[in-house]
Amino acid sequence: MSDYIVEMKHITKRFPGIVANDDVSIGIKKGEIFALLGENGAGKSTLMSILGGMYEPDEGEIYIRGEKVQISSPNHAAKLNIGMVHQHFKLVSDYTITENIILGVEPMKKFAGLFPYVDIRNANRKIEELSKNFGLEVDPTKKIADLTVSMQQRVEILKVLYREAEILIFDEPTAVLTPQEIEFLLGIIEGLRNGGKTIILITHKLEEIKKVADRCAVLNKGNLVDVLDVKETSTKQMAQLMVGREVNFESAKAPAVMKEEVLKVDHLTVKNEDGFEVVKDVSFTIHSGEIFAIAGVADNGQVEIADAIAGLTKVSGGKVLLQGKDITNESIRNRTEMGISYIPEDRQSFGLVLDFDLSTNLALKQYYREPFASKGILSKEEFEQFGSKLIDKYDIRSGQGIKTQVRSMSGGNQQKAIIAREIELQSPLMIFVQPTRGVDIGAIENIHKMMIQQRDQGKAILLVSLELDEIMNVADTIGVIYNGQLQKIASSESLTTNEVGEYMMGAKHE
Amino acid sequence: MDTIIIDGLSFALPLFIIAIGGIYSEKSGITNLALEGFQGFGAFIGAMSAVLIANAFGTDIQNLFYVALLFAMIGGMGFSIIHAVLSIKFKADQVISGVVINILALALTTFLTTQINALVFGAASDKFRLGVSERFTIEGVANIPVIGAVFTNVYPFEVIIIVIAFFAWYLLYKTKFGMRLRASGENPHSVDAAGVNVSKIRFSAVLISGLLSGLGGMCFAYSISANFSSNIYMGYGFLAIAALIFGNWRILPTLAACLLFGFAKSGGAFIAQSMALPSSFTDLFMILPYVLTLLLLIFFSKSNRAPRALGEIYDKGKR
Ligand SMILES: Nc1ncnc2c1ncn2[C@@H]1O[C@H](COP(=O)(O)OP(=O)(O)O)[C@@H](O)[C@H]1O
Ligand SMILES: [Mg+2]
Repeated sequence: MSDYIVEMKHITKRFPGIVANDDVSIGIKKGEIFALLGENGAGKSTLMSILGGMYEPDEGEIYIRGEKVQISSPNHAAKLNIGMVHQHFKLVSDYTITENIILGVEPMKKFAGLFPYVDIRNANRKIEELSKNFGLEVDPTKKIADLTVSMQQRVEILKVLYREAEILIFDEPTAVLTPQEIEFLLGIIEGLRNGGKTIILITHKLEEIKKVADRCAVLNKGNLVDVLDVKETSTKQMAQLMVGREVNFESAKAPAVMKEEVLKVDHLTVKNEDGFEVVKDVSFTIHSGEIFAIAGVADNGQVEIADAIAGLTKVSGGKVLLQGKDITNESIRNRTEMGISYIPEDRQSFGLVLDFDLSTNLALKQYYREPFASKGILSKEEFEQFGSKLIDKYDIRSGQGIKTQVRSMSGGNQQKAIIAREIELQSPLMIFVQPTRGVDIGAIENIHKMMIQQRDQGKAILLVSLELDEIMNVADTIGVIYNGQLQKIASSESLTTNEVGEYMMGAKHE
Repeated sequence: MDTIIIDGLSFALPLFIIAIGGIYSEKSGITNLALEGFQGFGAFIGAMSAVLIANAFGTDIQNLFYVALLFAMIGGMGFSIIHAVLSIKFKADQVISGVVINILALALTTFLTTQINALVFGAASDKFRLGVSERFTIEGVANIPVIGAVFTNVYPFEVIIIVIAFFAWYLLYKTKFGMRLRASGENPHSVDAAGVNVSKIRFSAVLISGLLSGLGGMCFAYSISANFSSNIYMGYGFLAIAALIFGNWRILPTLAACLLFGFAKSGGAFIAQSMALPSSFTDLFMILPYVLTLLLLIFFSKSNRAPRALGEIYDKGKR
């Protein structure tokens, strides 16, 4: 018998048009934290979904505790004491914590010895106990809708613990958390390991692996590159294996040369559909040659600020001034023409028309003007020329050049296309909302470079991001938002990552 | 006053049980506009069984009420399989499926009714005559003013409906089946991740809606219309949908909405009668429940919330 609790041998999994896992073999020891490292699309989630019973492999074998198994469903995986904490939470927001945890394995009782019913009260007690044992304190009777993201994650963890998992898979658990929450979670994960559980941690963040993992497997484009002993490997080496080439972590950046004021946001207040103030009395300015970043936990009003400036949301109080002109009530097109470029958060719904080809998408903000249109007639050649020019200039990769349907392009290249289009507008103000969400390290590097380039050419840039690393990396000035209010505005050199994290949680005030 | 309560209840309760059927289907995530068709088809099967049995054994059709009820439930459930298969197995658009089923039910049952009448009874009729189910009065309580009306001239089906409604509440809110069903309509991925088959749950939910609609339709046929004919498709199924929406997909508030509709209808009829208006004007008062629906829409459409995954086709692979 081998000393591995989990062995996956020669696993291959194909999806239409792609090999997500190509002959991957890994072995995981009992009681270790085993990390799975790889860029987006490397096949990490797929490999672990196979272990969790969500997919069946096309080829290969799985051994659990030395015994060959075919994991046919998540239920079966649970019987083998395997539990997965998913990247996208699978919770019913109307249900309480307890109801979510017991769903599928409800404890029953009988009323009058006849009518079976779900024994919520007993389950509440059991879950409270469980949560205390593992340091994951929750109130089992609370509804999911009232919980923060990190609390919801606790529920997902409790779900697998309730099912008595011994092998716990975490799929990018820190992607949605603040630095303090990450710290806490990594502590929990270590605690679980010390309690004898086996942990598989999927991530593309190297520091986390360095901090808690014992061993680490690196995947690249579906292939297993290497399995490393974490103690003996530097993060730089890991990054190279992951990307397949040398990477720069820090974007090389000259100090900002700020000139005249471009954007002034003056006591801005925005209400949501329910009339609730999501942006409260926010004021800041951005200068030519400055990258101003808004840092904050998701849903604290940062996106609404960007939307209000771009004209996508109505302002209920205060003013927005662009180069001294009041644009608070201008239409979106007027704002574009007066000089605002906007890279939206949801590139597929708002940034692109997925079923149009690439050249049309690239011309989307100028198509109605000369030379693209004359007297209302669109000129195909102009579209194509312009498209080809941008594809070269910004290195946008696609299957069939300007004729490619945008839907078929990778996320990183879709994003490059949007950024190219927006840069070409030559607007004095550029707004980037989560520009690197869901794109891989190589493309992130590229996007950051483009932002800094634009700054150096004298643009004013507003960056809204949930990635603190990104903000620390590219911003000249940081505004931290919490609960719709700016907690702190300061130059990026004067703040540490941890300080920003504390402001983000509302734990620290001016 | 008493007639308003008596007639109102006997209309509201069948409506209520159909609406509960709708709640089951929609709480599981399947939009159900086919209630109208289910109740009509169920009533057709029930009425057909009753007239055929009465014909074969010479039984009084009045006594076959419970048999008809049973067949109506089976018929409604059988017919609902179409909606379940189309929208769950073949992932068809649920709205279109529902609309088509309603049209199909109307055409099919009208056709079959005339055919069966012609073939079996040799009569050219588009109706199955059923008569009105017997009623009972609970002596004593019936004499209490106002409230007494509730216990006067009660159809037996009203009692049956209340018992079934109570059981439906228990099933939906207290059992694991109900818990999984409601979760399927809110976030099917969570149900799937818990190792429960979403399709099976939704399938059962749609069948339950067919069963309860058939029951409701039969009650209409044995009371207000006293026969089965295409007149059963008066929009009661849609009224039930309106009721469950006003009831925010919850059973007790839906009962309140049904009672409101019931009393609006009987109240309208009462006013028309007591003013001795010509029959063309009576029809005008019959629109009262529908006008009420429009008015209520204005107030309720904002605050009410449908199940989150309602009408969404569930695709396991989709992330
Ligand atoms: N259900 C699916 N259908 C089709 N393609 C998929 C599916 N799941 C994943 N893929 C593809 O397989 C590849 C690996 O994806 P995934 O395992 O999610 O990567 P990772 O978790 O490492 O980011 C990607 O190219 C992705 O688009
Ligand atoms: Mg993944």
